Amino acid sequence: MAIKKKNSKHSPNGSRRHNGASPATTIDLRTYSIPDLRLEHPDLSVRQSTEKDGHVRYEVTGNLDAPVPPIRDSKYLSKQQCIEIYRYMLLNRKMEVALENLYKQGKVVGGVYFGLGQEACSCASAYALDKDDWFAPMIRNQGSLLVRGFAARDTMMQYMAKADSPTRGRDGTSHFGDIEKRNMVSPISMLGDLIPVLSGVALGARLQGRNVAVMTYIGDGGQSTGVTYEGINFAAVQNLGLVLFIESNLWAYSTPSEMQYRCKDLAERAIGYGIPGVIVDGTDACQVYDAAREAVERAHAGEGPTLIEAKMMRMKGHAIHDAASYVPKPMFDFWKKRDPIARFDNYLVKEKKWLSSKENAELISEVERIIEAEREIAINSPMPEPESAEGGVYCEDGCHDIKPKYGTPKVKKGTGGYKETEAAVHLK
Amino acid sequence: MQLTYLEAIRQGIWEEMDRDPSVFCLGEDIGIYGGAFKVTDGFIDRFGPERVIDTPIAESAIVGAAFGASLTGMRPVAEFQFMDFIGCAFNQISNMVAKTHYLWGAPAPLVLRGPSGGYVHGGPFHSQNPEMWFVHNPGLKVICPATPYDAKGLIKAAIRDNNPCIFFEHKYLYRRIKGEVPADDYVVPIGKANIVREGRDLSIVTYAAMVHTALEAAEILAKENIDLEILDLRTVSPLDREAIAATVKKTNKVIILHEHSRTGGLAGEIAAIINEEVFDDLDGPIVRITGLDSAVPFSPPQEHHYLPKVEDVVRESRRLKAY
Ligand SMILES: Cc1ncc(C[n+]2csc(CCOP(=O)(O)OP(=O)(O)O)c2C)c(N)n1
Ligand SMILES: [Mg+2]
Repeated sequence: MAIKKKNSKHSPNGSRRHNGASPATTIDLRTYSIPDLRLEHPDLSVRQSTEKDGHVRYEVTGNLDAPVPPIRDSKYLSKQQCIEIYRYMLLNRKMEVALENLYKQGKVVGGVYFGLGQEACSCASAYALDKDDWFAPMIRNQGSLLVRGFAARDTMMQYMAKADSPTRGRDGTSHFGDIEKRNMVSPISMLGDLIPVLSGVALGARLQGRNVAVMTYIGDGGQSTGVTYEGINFAAVQNLGLVLFIESNLWAYSTPSEMQYRCKDLAERAIGYGIPGVIVDGTDACQVYDAAREAVERAHAGEGPTLIEAKMMRMKGHAIHDAASYVPKPMFDFWKKRDPIARFDNYLVKEKKWLSSKENAELISEVERIIEAEREIAINSPMPEPESAEGGVYCEDGCHDIKPKYGTPKVKKGTGGYKETEAAVHLK
Repeated sequence: MQLTYLEAIRQGIWEEMDRDPSVFCLGEDIGIYGGAFKVTDGFIDRFGPERVIDTPIAESAIVGAAFGASLTGMRPVAEFQFMDFIGCAFNQISNMVAKTHYLWGAPAPLVLRGPSGGYVHGGPFHSQNPEMWFVHNPGLKVICPATPYDAKGLIKAAIRDNNPCIFFEHKYLYRRIKGEVPADDYVVPIGKANIVREGRDLSIVTYAAMVHTALEAAEILAKENIDLEILDLRTVSPLDREAIAATVKKTNKVIILHEHSRTGGLAGEIAAIINEEVFDDLDGPIVRITGLDSAVPFSPPQEHHYLPKVEDVVRESRRLKAY
């Protein structure tokens, strides 16, 4: 996935301008390739239009009847691994169905966020990580948490603000972390801020002699933030093993991607950072995995960051309160046909025949049983005591024994001994 | 050993890097150039470019990367070229770093440090004292030393602390003051104030460069038989409530002196603490001497007018003594 650089031939006069010469004839044309693993290239586009009733609405144009493409065979995944990813995707979806029900029963505090239509992106990406790698989910990556070994009850209890939730009620949703075992950085709500943090994790590990991959996600909306630029650029300059998934799901709350950025594909931004970028179909688990795996391998080899744009659509509103009535209905119809689970199911059962219909049905009911058991445990957790709001602001009284996770950093000492500085400074 | 304030900080960081391989520095122009104020001068030769990292001009990335590294057990020391630029990283500090231990139990042992303060005609963007932005953020420790001894002891304590520490170095003091600093390893505890001058008539509660302003005023007032007690807070978050209460209990009159602007400033918080702890011991109104409620102006006569001065402390002390 290396960047291919091709320089066009220099003009006979070289690229320097001199008096009287037309500058336009001496521009270097540089082309970088952005690999695109997709087997189709939807041409839908959204714009604002004023209708006869005077209301401004979003309108979609493009070939809405395009046939659904096949799943692209993975270069790496075995039959067993494909089934395992499929199982995580099922867990992801069934957990979110359970969350929706908990919400309707009034058991959830606040809203619920869904990754409907994005399960392949969450699950197959996290599946590419090794045990020692790190990750940080965004709000829709509840599936990534399951892949990394968290239980469904953890997320459920977060939503219900329970005493046994990973944050003991102090935060909700996927906002929790674990720096001991599962190497997860807790997200914060502010979009983009995880990117430099994950880069810093890779920097810390490298100082300890380890090249770890650090994976995180950002939306087509969230990538507009300045800190996204700072974080990717930092990783690029320092050659850190950041694997950044851009979840290009066409909407940021109610704003279509056409109003977030002007370039054709967000993966192109990689060129500006001087790092590899790749586009995948975010509803095809095999493509997501292959791109993630190659990026993780680059990270482990110390070859720096990779930007992966996963194209798909957010198939619900921003959160449970949002009916997404601003989304043109034909877009839902188009992407519903590209449902990642239905497509993978079809691939495993019908195309590859790696699962019989019976095995598939058993798998689905096993996943349902697990989610039901998790739901029970989550519901039965008590609410936290009011006083548990107090304490823990500081790390004190030996609550943590901090030491380098991957071993003592190697220290090279130069010959320069300590001597007082006398250099001139400004603002004396 | 007599050291400047700057040298004391520099030596403190150097010794910690020597002692603990998990300490490393990052920031703008800190490597070969040694930092805008030369605090890390010579570090790159000694500790190598892996541990003395020149970064892009990206304050959010600097803080974010420092935080991420701290999650793997490193102890990063990030430099802001001027503390005025810390606002560019505000979200990382306030929402990411400060809340992390409370919310999900991860410690963030990192230090954010750099020059702050006026009196050097730096203009509105190179003279600020933005410590209050962080005092109002539970989870951070905010440190503002006034002497070489404290500066060295506190930077070492900050590096060893398991919490995010913001270390404000007063750039007016960098090379202007010298003080005795022991050669042996020592730390100054974070969160403990210090009586730098004992007195009986009234207390000045202050910190950083203003400690020296108060000391000068005390010399003048001593000739008039007005005896100032000066409490150097050293750490502005968490505040040493006991020390504040104790000095007010002793002198019964108090002036709070700080360089940053008045409204929403530290003096308001300290006045509230005094009210809560030792209201009955007060024999006069709590007096504030502070910067004006404006940006720090550039031109020397204007800057002089904006900032607290020795004359202000002398005048207000006379008035309060006579109350
Ligand atoms: C910096 C910041 N500004 C605003 C918000 C409020 N907000 C939360 S999610 C969201 C939309 C995000 O869209 P996108 O990044 O495309 O992610 P998606 O929801 O599509 O997964 C907004 C505006 C925020 N969380 N962070
Ligand atoms: Mg989006």
